Amino acid sequence: MRDRLTDALKIQDVEYADIRVEDKTNTWVNFRGPDLDTIGSARTVGGIVRALCKGGWGYATFNDLEDLPKRVGEACETARLVGTGTTYFAPSKPVVDIVSAKLVKDFRQVPLADKKALTEEYNRIVLGHHKNIQTSSVKYADSFKHIWFASSEGTYIEEEVPDVNMMIAAIAREGDIVQSGFQTGGSIDGYQGVEGMHENARDVAQKAVELLASPPVSGGKYTVITDQILTGVFTHEAFGHLSESDFVYENPRMQEIMQLGKRFGVEGLNIIDDGTLPEGLGTHSYDYEGVPTRKNYLIKDGILVGRLHSRETAAKMGESVSGNARAVHFQHPPIVRMTNTYIDQGTVAFEDMIKDVKLGVYAIKAIGGTTAMEMFTFSAAYGYIIRDGQVAELVRDVVLTGNVFETLLNIDQIGNDLAWEPNGPGGCGKGDQQPLRVGLGGPHIRIQNCVVGGQQ
Amino acid sequence: MIVQQIVEKALKKAQAAQAVMLTQETSAVDFENDRLKSAESSQRTQIDVKVILDGKVGVSSTTDPLDVEGVVRRALEAAEFGSPAHFELPDAQSLEPVKVFDPALLPLEKPEMIRMGKQMMDMVKSYNPEILAGASVNKTVYKVEYANSRGAEYSADHTEFNIGTSGQLVRGTDILLAGHGIGQKKRRVDTEEIATLAIEYFRMAEQIAPIESGEMPVIFTPSGLIALLLSLGLAVDGKNVNLGASPLRDKLGQQITSSSLTILDDPFIEYGPRTSAFDNEGVPRKVTPLIEKGILRNFIYDLDTAGRAGVKPTGHGSSRTLTNLVIDPGDTPYETMIRNTTKGLLVHDFLGLGQGNPINGEFSVNLFLGYKIEKGKLVGRVKDVMLAGNAFDALKDIIAISKEREWVSGPWAWFTGLMPYIQVGKLSVTAK
Repeated sequence: MRDRLTDALKIQDVEYADIRVEDKTNTWVNFRGPDLDTIGSARTVGGIVRALCKGGWGYATFNDLEDLPKRVGEACETARLVGTGTTYFAPSKPVVDIVSAKLVKDFRQVPLADKKALTEEYNRIVLGHHKNIQTSSVKYADSFKHIWFASSEGTYIEEEVPDVNMMIAAIAREGDIVQSGFQTGGSIDGYQGVEGMHENARDVAQKAVELLASPPVSGGKYTVITDQILTGVFTHEAFGHLSESDFVYENPRMQEIMQLGKRFGVEGLNIIDDGTLPEGLGTHSYDYEGVPTRKNYLIKDGILVGRLHSRETAAKMGESVSGNARAVHFQHPPIVRMTNTYIDQGTVAFEDMIKDVKLGVYAIKAIGGTTAMEMFTFSAAYGYIIRDGQVAELVRDVVLTGNVFETLLNIDQIGNDLAWEPNGPGGCGKGDQQPLRVGLGGPHIRIQNCVVGGQQ
Repeated sequence: MIVQQIVEKALKKAQAAQAVMLTQETSAVDFENDRLKSAESSQRTQIDVKVILDGKVGVSSTTDPLDVEGVVRRALEAAEFGSPAHFELPDAQSLEPVKVFDPALLPLEKPEMIRMGKQMMDMVKSYNPEILAGASVNKTVYKVEYANSRGAEYSADHTEFNIGTSGQLVRGTDILLAGHGIGQKKRRVDTEEIATLAIEYFRMAEQIAPIESGEMPVIFTPSGLIALLLSLGLAVDGKNVNLGASPLRDKLGQQITSSSLTILDDPFIEYGPRTSAFDNEGVPRKVTPLIEKGILRNFIYDLDTAGRAGVKPTGHGSSRTLTNLVIDPGDTPYETMIRNTTKGLLVHDFLGLGQGNPINGEFSVNLFLGYKIEKGKLVGRVKDVMLAGNAFDALKDIIAISKEREWVSGPWAWFTGLMPYIQVGKLSVTAK
């Protein structure tokens, strides 16, 4: 493949070109209610050529690998048509590397019958848990992707990307009230990541049933403590996307808001995006432009100190590359994306965080969220009222809303218990590129004066 | 054809088989932040295979036409553990002639597409140079081939043309995003009209109009109707009906909305964005009335869900996707609808749609783009406003439907169809 790619990359009157080819095989088993919904597997082969000329990009995407030089020619021709200005493209040292997957238990060797049996076991636990369980959705998925990347600057990278995940959801109903519980699991290093989730299946069903009897939270301003997963989702959605330079580099208003050196939070607040973490879901040795990933501080000691870049945005803003150009698959060019984004561990134990809260909300996991620039709205999966320093009754319909900058400044305590969201079928969406696997993490954090807009 | 080869190969083991192959070429140009940003050529091949082996279903797919052996082997392997087949594959039937291919699109090349995009963008810029403008023009030519073990063999050539312009206007902390686009299967298009409509959304938003919380009449623009149609679409999906999750599951033949509402799903509209003669399961398409004068007429079924329900498939493919939705026009001119409104809203775009429990009709969304109507006039854009209610209740409370209709389609559309403006009597509006 290396020779085929480098031979094809004879560029024609453009400044730069690269080519990425992917070969992916994936398998899925879905149960919905008592029935097997679908079972199957697919193979997807294809690639993309990018060419850059006078600031203009030309792309050619394809499934047919037969005529790579023709695809390169198309991309170059298109780039020449588009480019009329100046190219901004930060330098990055060419690399040659092969990154192989290390699997503890290789899911490609696990018979489909076993995958189905495991999924069915979890499904049976959910459905049999309680009379109020109305239906279930249990989904197994795995994929193994081989990626080849070569650039006109001499970079050549091969990478294997395995993924296996399970999603267990329970839907409980009583009269008109419908509540759900869910749990994801999985790993990037083998089938063992989805085994042994029987206890999770029971918990999911139990939570859905308990939520039927729990009241909606009353709306208002509370001291809110978020669990590690919700901390991670908040950090990624509300703040992380604003650090992606393609939102910033051609937008004067955003440049003003995201000025480096500005205070964003308390002294102890550190927000990091790190594509090198050993177990991270968003970990890669190199990004999709062949730039090595690295640990990037976005907020250090409460001050905005960095942002995420592709080679183009880095050059345009006069900053250095960060290894954050990623693409969901070969039908898209890479754009600026997060990898593993988290609030770094602080010093406060959960017991100390909660003990002086008279009335508050302990919000757990996230079932959805939207952001529009600095405004965010997140639905927690569920929550507990905190009363006189104790975790009290379960509540549902916990929706957190606010302005991200005010909210970051209102974080007054940062826990000592950093944890990461488990693997799952979802991922981050940006533009039409979804789902991209990302790591979300953080410790428990405490936010003062947070608006909780419960539905009445 | 490769699809017949696959079916033959599968039949060495399986009792029934079908294959669908898509081959597609796309050219696209994309303008962002006032400039031509990129252009793209794309070639796609997709082969989907379904087999029935000992009464069980297996599926597989590949993008590699040379992978015939592999795709058949994986489908057969999946079938060993598959779910029981509740259906037979359809036999060969005669197809409705449809207009889905416009040869005039074939010679359309990127330089001309760039010119069209630039023209729309320049119009937006000349209305207000402070708008960061964008545009997208996209041409696709594709072929779909279908074959199954009962002798059904279809092939169709399609063209597609998607074009639109949009912009972003930032004033202080206020950000306004708006645009307009269309999608269709023919070339003839009026770029001036597209840009004019996009500009109209900015023009109406020049003023910010303060609003107080309360209940008020709300006019949904053709695009804005997604807030109500999202729930309806989920509730008529045969799968949700079978699972007992649809609130409409036992309401066929009953009055479920205002009697002024008639909605058809029409796959035969000339050059319509989702027009086609057969679906990806070899089922001939047909016109499906969903609601006639307020009465629920049909659910949407693919082979599997139809088999489980003991009814006929409706020709909406294995994912039960609606084609061209058509809502009958009413008798109120749009201008009159606005003029007759003392205090209310015109709503066009939302944030947070689909969160919560959309199948039950409940929605609670932030207005991303909405306008205040006061004493019969549009007075400006509303900000920080939430609209909440129940889609099914709202459809019972329709007080006016416009004479005028617009196509909702194109690069950014959530759904596709020919829609009027619809006014609902009372919805809850919360100003933050």
